[in-house]
Parts: sequence; structure tokens; C-alpha cells
Amino acid sequence: MLRVRDLSVRFDSGRNVVVHAVNGVSFDLEAGGALGLVGESGSGKSVTSLAILRLLPPATARIATGEVWLADRDLIQLSDREMRRLRGKEISLVPQDPMSGLNPVLTIGEQVAETIRAHEDMRWREARNRAAELLGTVGIPRPHDQLKRYPHQFSGGMRQRVLIAIALALRPTLLIADEPTTALDVTVQAQVLELLHELTVERGTAILLISHDLGIMARMTQRIMVMYAGHIVEAAPTPEIFARPGHPYTVGLLRSIPRVAGVGRPLTPIAGSPPVPDQVPRGCPFAPRCAWALDVCWQEMPPLAPADGISFSGGPRSGGHLLACHNPVAADEVEGGRPLQPGFRAAPPPEEGLVARETT
Amino acid sequence: MTTPPASASEPPLLEVRDLRVHFPITRGAVVRRTVGQVHAVDDLSLKLGTAETVGLVGESGSGKTTLGRAIVGLIPPTSGAILFRGRPLGAKGAAADRTERSQLQMVFQDPTASLDPKWRVGASIAEPLRVNHVGTMAERRQRVRDLLEVVGLSPGHAQRYPHELSGGQRQRVGLARALALNPAVIVADEAVSALDVSIRAQVINLLQRLQNELNLSYLFIAHDLAVVRHLSDRVAVMYLGQIVEQAAAADLYSDPRHPYTVSLLSAVPVPDPTVEARRQRIVLSGDPPNPASPPTGCRFHTRCWLRKQLGNPEQCAAEEPKHQQISAGHTAACHYAHEVPGNVKLSTVGPTAEPAS
Repeated sequence: MLRVRDLSVRFDSGRNVVVHAVNGVSFDLEAGGALGLVGESGSGKSVTSLAILRLLPPATARIATGEVWLADRDLIQLSDREMRRLRGKEISLVPQDPMSGLNPVLTIGEQVAETIRAHEDMRWREARNRAAELLGTVGIPRPHDQLKRYPHQFSGGMRQRVLIAIALALRPTLLIADEPTTALDVTVQAQVLELLHELTVERGTAILLISHDLGIMARMTQRIMVMYAGHIVEAAPTPEIFARPGHPYTVGLLRSIPRVAGVGRPLTPIAGSPPVPDQVPRGCPFAPRCAWALDVCWQEMPPLAPADGISFSGGPRSGGHLLACHNPVAADEVEGGRPLQPGFRAAPPPEEGLVARETT
Repeated sequence: MTTPPASASEPPLLEVRDLRVHFPITRGAVVRRTVGQVHAVDDLSLKLGTAETVGLVGESGSGKTTLGRAIVGLIPPTSGAILFRGRPLGAKGAAADRTERSQLQMVFQDPTASLDPKWRVGASIAEPLRVNHVGTMAERRQRVRDLLEVVGLSPGHAQRYPHELSGGQRQRVGLARALALNPAVIVADEAVSALDVSIRAQVINLLQRLQNELNLSYLFIAHDLAVVRHLSDRVAVMYLGQIVEQAAAADLYSDPRHPYTVSLLSAVPVPDPTVEARRQRIVLSGDPPNPASPPTGCRFHTRCWLRKQLGNPEQCAAEEPKHQQISAGHTAACHYAHEVPGNVKLSTVGPTAEPAS
């Protein structure tokens, strides 16, 4: 249903510095599916979602290459007007921060009804009734009384419910949820996740869920993509990612999270820090932090391809285990989180240093 | 990381006794009158031993941060006492009090906001030394270099400004500053929450190493239950200004007795899809009540699933539950702490309590 092909986004940050925020991202999302996008801050997760929605800041960002197919239309080619008609109706977004996602000077009722009226020919009163109905669906008590209230009179969890109500108002086929529960308490987070899950399953809405929380991913998604420095470095069905991760970065992430079950097991953090976006090495961006790095890793970014030997049996092409790595982690190395090959040492950076990729 | 046996003669390193922190709610611009009290911390008691880590969990607004700030003296308590090595900490600002207070330090959540952007990192770390007239300028400079090394930075970082550092490095600077006066206790308020996963693990490991090397005690405030489990010897669960359950970490996570603890544990997503698929969740309805007018009786009774299962007994709404002893060191403030059904615990929390594979 959603097909993204070779999507790249560049930011011009002045003084001729070009930031490669998203690099050649491709993926499919089936109707009704739940796809997760994991990565740390600055990895390009949110930029990817904004690019799909065509909501990037026009002054600094541009989509350098790529196609975004929703059913039979390439969203990149649509006019602003056509895109506006589609947003909310076919794709909608649940933003991260429930406060900035709502207009503080309009009542909740006005904001929900406005979304409906922007797309459907409807009287205010009728739209308000629909709005109340929607607020009821997302579990807001006494919805008719709440229509006249303002966002600041709602708690964080309630605001996030309102945003979900707005996002689902027109029964879109695709919902993009960008860290929808990061600002919420764990008990409220559980409510909101449950709600998102119920509504999307009930209505067959596909969901692209963006989060840094692997627990939420395990609960909510069927398939996970791992993003690092604007590249998708690994993609696989959710159980596969957790059971047989292949990319050193994925392994690092999994080894970095404390688990209520593995008590006493020491954490193995990933060395170093995430790359500065405008100084990405020529080869694999993870090479400077990678214990498995080979010489070739410093020179050449491996393509995202089916993982040899550990490929997932059956399923469509998009359902397999994809990996962008020259030297994937072997199954017996996952637990220890380091290479077991005797005498192996990660390749040092090449002598000419970190050559930044030529800016285009 | 091991809890020293608490001998009867020796007082705990830090003890909070019947602490209350209430904030007045005022109305009127010219004539201000108090129209109510927010009960941020209410009748709370807590002990912290040498080289022990006590984790403090709860939702936002439960009073975790207020408790932490009251302990380090940033907020005056309304009543109750905070005892350090058996002696009550006196009024803020008293000269004798200052040396004692310097033994209690705090690390904040947002390292960007807690460092002065116009100061070099070295100056920020040296500030507590300067304020307390420790050493000469050269000695202080040397101390800053040592501290930077202790937290895994290089001495050269002293010359940098906060904006030149990454989030993880800034949090290390915050730690170095907290360590400057050789404290015995560090209150870490969501100290790793703002960090990315891979960086967070680095700082968690650093906290553990420092504890072993310097014999530090931590009051570790966090909402992430897995991180708290990883670091803590004991865990206290707060709800609306009170501790509702307290136990050794292993007991609390495997045998929770307060229905609120059970629902908290069941709400945490577990990074393991096979566990997630098997697990049932107790989803609490509604938001936490307003701490300005907490519910009568048990403060949790308005959202309690166990009370519903038991047919809404009157006692919960009428009578404030006292802490019941479950086992050694494990107490829960619930009238029906012994009635939490085992199968609920198993299906919600159970799989998470399995030993490491």
C-alpha cells in the first residue's frame, strides 16, 4: 500500500554545509500492517516521516531523490493542493508532543470538527456531533462536555487521545505515529498504545510507528526497521530482529537496554557517540563505533540486501530479513555482543582520515 | 552494590522520617490568600544505607522529584526530618549545616539546563569547590582534571563550553560536578532518561563503577522500571506523595503486592516480542488524581483494579492503609496486599521475573 523507494532528504544548513538526513530509504508497508522505525535522535526517523507527509520545512530541506507511492500515486509528484487534500484523509500523523500538536486558543471541539470540515461538506453542528463521537471512541469521558474545553484543561494523556481522535477522524488508510507516547507516563502510555492498537486493527489502518523504545516496538509492530545516520541498516520481522539481529548496531542497541528479566547482566554500551550529521564518513556511518569493522567498511556503504544464511523462510520480498553490513554479527556472537573470531580486531580508520562524503 | 547488614546500633546513612512537603495554592495578586495545599510528599519515610542504591519509581506528579529536592535541601520540608548519619539536617544556610549538606548532591535530568551555557565546563565543575572554599586555585584546577578523568572525559574537556559537548558528555560533567565535594549520597533525578539508548548504557555503567570505587549511595529516581531494576538494591514505589510499596528489587519485581505496583509493572513494554505476545496487561483507567485533593482512604482506590475485583470494599475509601509487612524488608500499603491473585501476577509480571537466559 505504501511503497517508499530510494528516498533521500538533504538539509542545507548554510555555509555550504549539506546534511544528509535520509539516504536511499526503501520499504513497503502493507494495508493494515504495523511497521516500526527504530533509531536514536538524529538518525533520520522523523525526517523520513515528514518527507512522506511532505511536511519538511521548504526553506532548508529538499527531497533529493525518491518516490513515495501511496496506492497508485507518487506523493512526491503531487501538487501542494492535492497533498493537502490527502493529508488527514488518507495519511495522518500523531505527533510526539501533545501540547504543540494542538492550538492553545481553539477549543478541542473546534479543532476536531475543523479537521472533519476541511475534508467533508458538513455543517458545524453535525461536525461537532461527529467530533464528540470520536472523542468517545478514544476513551474521553463525557465527550459532549469536553468539546468546549481548551487543550490546557486536558492532561497529557487526554491531549494525546485528542490528537489520535483528530488523526483517525477521516479513517485514513495510513497512520504515522512519531513517538506517540514519549511524553506520557507508563500507565498512560499503556492506555494510549492499547487504543492505537485497537483502533488500527479494528479499522484495518496501517501504522508506521516511530520510536526509540524497543519495548514498544516489540509490543506494537510486525516488522522493524533500524535506522542509523539516515540509512536503514537492518529490517526484519519483529521476532527475527530480537532473536537473530545481524547488524552490529542492532546488536549494540539490544545489548544496551536493561531488562527486568536479565538481572545482573552487565550492559554493553556502544562505544563512542552518534555521528555528527554533516561529518559522515565515506563508508558505513557506523564503522567508527563498530567492533566488527573491516577495511572495506570505511570505504563503501553496503547496500540493504537479503541477509545470507539467516534469511527468513518464505514470505514476500518485503517480508524477509534485510541487512546492510559487510561483516554481520554471527548468531553465537549476539549474546556476548562482540566478535568471537580469534585474533579479530576492528579495522582502524584509513590513513587519510574520515573523508566526508562529497556533498551533492 | 550489596546492602550492608543494618546493625541496631548504627543509624542508616540517610533517613527520611515522616516527611511532608506541601505547596500552598494561592489566589489573588494583591492580597494573596492560600486556598489549598498540594500534598507533594505526605508522611513519607525512607532509609538509604552506605553504598546502597534505592530506586524511586512512580508517575509524574507522584512527588519523586520533590522528595529528592527536599533531601538535598533545595525545598524546605513542611514537617518531618531528614537525618544524615543519625543527625537531623538543620535549617538551610547554617554554616555547620553546609559541610553536611555537601555530602548530599544531586544530578539533574536535563544536563543542558543544569549547566551554565556561558561557563566553561571546568568552571562549572569547580563551582562547588569555590563556594565551599576548598583548596587553592591550582588545587581546584587539578581536582577538576581528576574529576573529568573519573567520569571518563579527558582533562581537555575543562576548556569546552556545554554546547560543544554531546548529551552523554554533558551528563558526565553533571556527575563530575556532583562528585566534586566527595559526597556520600547522590540523588539522581531521571539522570539517564534524556539520553539515547546507546549513550544511556554508558552512563549507567559509569554510575555503577563510581559506586564501587567511591562507596556512593544513590537515590535513583526514574520512571523507567527496567533501568531502576538494573541499578537498584531496593525499590520504593510512590503514588500521590506516598510510598505504597517498598522491597528489595528482586522481591518487588517478582512478587509485587500493591495493586498499583502490579499495574505499573504490567504497563512497561518488554523488549521481547515472545514475552509481549504472552503477556496480559492491567490497563489503569484514567489519570492520576489531583494531589491538591487526594482521594480519601487509600489514595489509589479510585483507579484500583483489585478493589473492583473484590467487589469495591468500603474499607478502601474510608480508611488509609498502613504498611503491611510482606516479608523481611518488603512492605505494602494496601488493605488487601495478601489478596493480589497469583495468576494475575504471573500473567502480567510473571515472564519478566524469569531468570536471565
